[in-house]
Amino acid sequence: MTSDRRIALDDLVACPACDWLHRRPALAAGESAVCARCAHELQSARVDTVDRSLAACLAGLLLLGMAVTLPFLSLSRSGIGSSISVLDSFTALWHGDFHWLGILTLTLIVLLPLLRYALLVAVLLPLRLGRTAGQGSRVAFRWVLKLSPWAMPEIFMVGVAVSLVKVGTVARLDIGLAFWCLLAAIAVSWYLGRVLCPDTIWRRLAGPGAPP
Amino acid sequence: MATACRPGCAAVNPDPVIGLSARQAGLARCGACGTLDRRGDRVVCRLCGARVHSRVPHGLQRVWAFLLVGVLVYVPAMVLPVMLTRSLTMRSDDTIISGVLQLAGQGSYAISIIIFVASICIPAIKFAIIGGLALSLQRGWNMSERSRHRLYRLTELIGRWSMIDVFVVAVLTALIQLGTFITIAPGPGIEAFALSVIFTMLAAGSLDPRLFWDQDTDARSRPR
Repeated sequence: MTSDRRIALDDLVACPACDWLHRRPALAAGESAVCARCAHELQSARVDTVDRSLAACLAGLLLLGMAVTLPFLSLSRSGIGSSISVLDSFTALWHGDFHWLGILTLTLIVLLPLLRYALLVAVLLPLRLGRTAGQGSRVAFRWVLKLSPWAMPEIFMVGVAVSLVKVGTVARLDIGLAFWCLLAAIAVSWYLGRVLCPDTIWRRLAGPGAPP
Repeated sequence: MATACRPGCAAVNPDPVIGLSARQAGLARCGACGTLDRRGDRVVCRLCGARVHSRVPHGLQRVWAFLLVGVLVYVPAMVLPVMLTRSLTMRSDDTIISGVLQLAGQGSYAISIIIFVASICIPAIKFAIIGGLALSLQRGWNMSERSRHRLYRLTELIGRWSMIDVFVVAVLTALIQLGTFITIAPGPGIEAFALSVIFTMLAAGSLDPRLFWDQDTDARSRPR
């Protein structure tokens, strides 16, 4: 009786945007199904999602690490020059007694993206190595999905571009290596958004006995 | 069976076989992992351990609470200065609006338009859309589900971009701290502005898009 009910339940999917019930579509790799009522994506089966997402995460961690520590911008005006990294900008804000602005920026630009990548590596690596996933992995993956709108490096970059134009009239600004690293990190996170397939990963995390 | 299609193809399933929402079928979908279970069977999802709610609990109340705070703190965000510039010869306290005007006056039209859109247009549009959608659900206004759905996606997409001005102030403060001729400090307005963006994002996140499609008002008023 209970096993009957479970099979029936796992044979169904509901649209995340409108709750309309569908039979679980049988998708081949690379296909996706849309909701019959609201046309929102219902299920997808992206190609090779674990390997590609893992690669993107590792690249993202490396690039973000470099973007945070290497010189980001250097400023020079009448012979006096200085260069700052993203971390320096946090300490500058902190020592200038602008604690909340420093913490907010650091959290949205550095901490949340790093945390998100680290959690995702912790979820994907066991899957890649063929280990069975524990409850910890599922909680971690839930947080990965929850955190994604709050990681804002791409918005920060637009802010930086605006600041460059504003300061450009007063002093000479040079772009450091970290600037390009952050730009590359944004490209990687965009790629991750395209290859990460939550449906597939949830099914892998459910382990054996779950629907195919 | 939902239609399977190649990525990029937007074919819509022509023959839904079930014809019910999960809620009408007595089921609840886990918001985190999508696992279905009988409504009321369990409080936590059997797969991922998240709390399962058929609809966001007290969704519209939450929307109104977050939105109200967002709108309230938007007032000081506009009125108070966001950036305090000090040098030997001049001192200026800029609000968001005076900053936009100043940039336009210097001829940096592109930048002033970016700031104007991100800091003034987007928050105003978001307040209007979220408030309008919540009102339309409560009052049962006659509005197509599809247009509600589109408006909701729009707010989700544009909301985060309002943060640009906060980052501009942070970068300028950090950069200019290093120089000795000019100092730039964040003004009280930028705190209020950041809070306004955060609360509006929370309001948008509490608005459950599944309510747009519920025919019974019962789903909107019941907690779970």
